[in-house]
Amino acid sequence: MLQLNKTMKNLLKFAFALFVSVGVLSLQSCEDDPEPENIPEIVTKATLRFAPAAGSTGSVVTVTATDPDRDGPQDLRVDGPINLVRGTSYTLTISLINELVSPDDDDYNITKEVEEEADEHMFFFSWTNNVFSNPSGNGNIDNRTDPVNYNDRDSKGQPLGISTNWTTATGTSALAGKFKVVLKHQPEIKSATSRSTDGETDVEVEFDLNVN
Amino acid sequence: MGAEIIVKETGRVATSNLLGAVRVGPLCAGTYTLMIRFIGFESQTHVIQVPGALLRVALEERREMLSEVVVQEHAPTLNPSQSVATLGAQELSQNLGKPLGEVLKNLAGVSALQSGPAIFKPVIHGVHSQRILILNNGVRQEGQQWGAEHAPEIDPFIASNITVIKDAGAIKYGTDALGGVIVVTPADLPERPGFGGKFHLIGSSNGRSGTVSGLLEGGLGNGWGWRTHGTIKRSGDFHSPHYVLSNTGFQERSFSVAAGQHREHFGFDVFFSHFQTTIGILRGAAVGSASDLANAMQREPPAFTAPFTYRIQQPRQEVSHSLLKLNTHWERGRHTFHLQYGLQYNHRLEFDLRRGALREIPALGFKLFTHTLDFEWEQARSAQHTRCWGVNAMLQDNNKVDGTQTIPFIPNYTNISGGLFAVEKWTRGDWQWDAGARYDWRSYQIVGFDFLNRIFRANNQFHNVSGTLGARYQLTPRNAIATTLGTTWRPPNVAELYSLGTHQSAAAIEYGLLLDERTTEVQPLSDANFANEQALKWVGTYTWRTADAQLELSGYANYIFNYIYLRPTGVTESLRGVFPYFRYTQTDALFLGTDASVSFQFHRYWTMRGRAALLRASDVRANDYLIFIPPNRLEVALRYEKPTWGTWHNFYVEAKPRYVLRQNRAPRVITVPEILESKENGIDLFASDGRIFDFLEAPPAYFWLGASVGISKNVGGSRLDFRLSVDNALNQAFREYTNRMRYFADEIGRNVSFSATWAF
Repeated sequence: MLQLNKTMKNLLKFAFALFVSVGVLSLQSCEDDPEPENIPEIVTKATLRFAPAAGSTGSVVTVTATDPDRDGPQDLRVDGPINLVRGTSYTLTISLINELVSPDDDDYNITKEVEEEADEHMFFFSWTNNVFSNPSGNGNIDNRTDPVNYNDRDSKGQPLGISTNWTTATGTSALAGKFKVVLKHQPEIKSATSRSTDGETDVEVEFDLNVN
Repeated sequence: MGAEIIVKETGRVATSNLLGAVRVGPLCAGTYTLMIRFIGFESQTHVIQVPGALLRVALEERREMLSEVVVQEHAPTLNPSQSVATLGAQELSQNLGKPLGEVLKNLAGVSALQSGPAIFKPVIHGVHSQRILILNNGVRQEGQQWGAEHAPEIDPFIASNITVIKDAGAIKYGTDALGGVIVVTPADLPERPGFGGKFHLIGSSNGRSGTVSGLLEGGLGNGWGWRTHGTIKRSGDFHSPHYVLSNTGFQERSFSVAAGQHREHFGFDVFFSHFQTTIGILRGAAVGSASDLANAMQREPPAFTAPFTYRIQQPRQEVSHSLLKLNTHWERGRHTFHLQYGLQYNHRLEFDLRRGALREIPALGFKLFTHTLDFEWEQARSAQHTRCWGVNAMLQDNNKVDGTQTIPFIPNYTNISGGLFAVEKWTRGDWQWDAGARYDWRSYQIVGFDFLNRIFRANNQFHNVSGTLGARYQLTPRNAIATTLGTTWRPPNVAELYSLGTHQSAAAIEYGLLLDERTTEVQPLSDANFANEQALKWVGTYTWRTADAQLELSGYANYIFNYIYLRPTGVTESLRGVFPYFRYTQTDALFLGTDASVSFQFHRYWTMRGRAALLRASDVRANDYLIFIPPNRLEVALRYEKPTWGTWHNFYVEAKPRYVLRQNRAPRVITVPEILESKENGIDLFASDGRIFDFLEAPPAYFWLGASVGISKNVGGSRLDFRLSVDNALNQAFREYTNRMRYFADEIGRNVSFSATWAF
């Protein structure tokens, strides 16, 4: 039936040997487990710490937002509400950490990275109209020119926002509202006029806020 | 076109069919002289008696062949009943420099899914990606084809013809051909001594791009031949009529070498090709969360639009694909054997917008090795009956590129596949039949990382059978009808089972079929409600040919059971913001359509061609529409051709208007602001209504105009061709429904191209 001459037999043997050997070689690579990746860009927890000015009656207020499953479908877990004392000045410090790595790892403290790249990052804030007496208005998420009290600046004099100052409203009735923080990454486009809609969002989180 | 048989006594002429069978008659009893002729073969005369036995004639090749005629000896052995469309040398020369997916759009029934101006994925009868098989010089193209923005890594300059098989009966080629097969075939290597080549130079205004491509080939006598080719392309940002499309440039380099020997009963060749490309993705389309997506969709021009540049930044893809093929065939009497080994290496890196030092590190990287071994045994059992049996084997290994510092989008895996097939073909008078059956088996061994970066392992097996039945009937010498009915299947792609995360800045999170809906943990296949995707496709074609007109009309129905697709299942909030998320799910889908193409030479110099494609796709289980289905389209071409004009040849002027209708069979619209608002108000949009949705309405219908003019000149022993063409001559601003960038920007504006070809 099949009369293979010597050339064809050799060709077939060659092809088969080639297939098997290359196959075995490439299979070798999958015998060792792949190395897990070190994942630095993730923020798993954002912490807002409101520290009252020296001598005032309020205590330190801390709230966190935690992402339980990263890219999974479970929603962000936001605790709170932020309960502030009326007529008090607070300094807000934001900290961002990556809990998937250990605390002494370089990639644990994301805030430090944001600070190092201040020229490309900016925090924007918004709040319900009546909760703060200073700054006035409702924050600069809708309008870049609305006032926010930034304590830190980048190398070009533009605000950063890891540390900001806030004074709650005075008055007799309790106030309730919302407080939103957005961190934008604006490589090469951060300027005196760049808005909260420019660049990529690194963090976007909202808390309930009460003034008593 | 078959051999001509002339009965000298009656003057009657009959033509044999593709298999060489012919009935001449009826004839009264007596003695007759038959003259048999076929171009390229020596004519023969036979004296026959009626009634008498069946006459079998074998014609001998005429020894002098015209050097300009290229005869495809080893074209894919097509069944006569298959629905096939081909782009030959002429059409390919009129689409020089365009990517493969864009060139294929010239065939009725074939469309493209785009991601910007340079990335085209072929769509046959509404299906694409893993449902189409691409044969690159006879080897299954294996790259990361699961991605909607992963174009096939093939240089069309290598092909002398490209054939699209539109029915599901591609039994010989394997699983994955639910929509059809695209066969990219280079010309056979030269067998006679000689030396020749071709050089192309192309420049285009939109993108300010330049392409240089060259091919050299030669024959060394005794059946030995060789060929080498190379292409370099460079393009900067494209532009729409009103603004630059920033970061849409690309650069591409490819080359190939081939050598082999072909004799009468034996042949072998070795082929190696390397293709590499860097392609930019529209900068304004790169987004983080849904709020970024809402901003990006509203802005025109897109965010980050900057002046023209050749620089390609993030986001971008860097892909390379190498192919080594060893091929041999030999004949023993009526038996022909083919043996082919293929080795492919696909390397893909995708760069996204990342913080700081990570900017230059790819967010996704995979290395894919594939070995294929194919063996085929063809027997010509008689003049009326051929049989082909074969075995295919594939070994594939996918590994992540280390150092991306992201959780890999798909896991590492090893894929072992095998298949057996048998095809039979018969002829009985004006009828031709074919039947085929195939069994395939696939095994995946998977090692990956879940959403918490923990390692997981899985082992999955799939197997199934495919079959086709086809028939062709030559009604008269002018018209024929053909039909095929086939069932085929495909195993799920690893991406459809296990993918996790966002990919190439798409502002949506994707989950594979095997990720638990609540916990995102990886489930074993046995726990999921999974069934293999299987298609039942019927295609019917009617062809009519005369000396100056041709009509081809085909209808098809493709029912795909357990069709895998991405369905929106919810909106999640993470620290980065709000993201809609999509899960791979299964449903049943039906694709019904018609393709028509007609050409008519109504004057010595004038030809008119028309092409229409209608498609009606539906999600049968959910009684809903599917997304990104190509809308109906109509194209006409009016051509004036003058074969000689003074010392020049082949002068032509052509106008090509096109009308694309609006896709009215598109899913409901939920805009991104609506998604954000309902999330803020605590409403779960998809809890009660899980139907698919689109972020924007389908764009309106549009009219598009292209034109071209060309001329050739013979200089000494070589030929020069010149061509000037304009695409989107009216500089229309429009959006194409099947372009994934339509959410952010218009299609490209006017593009003037000039090409010069020197063939010697």
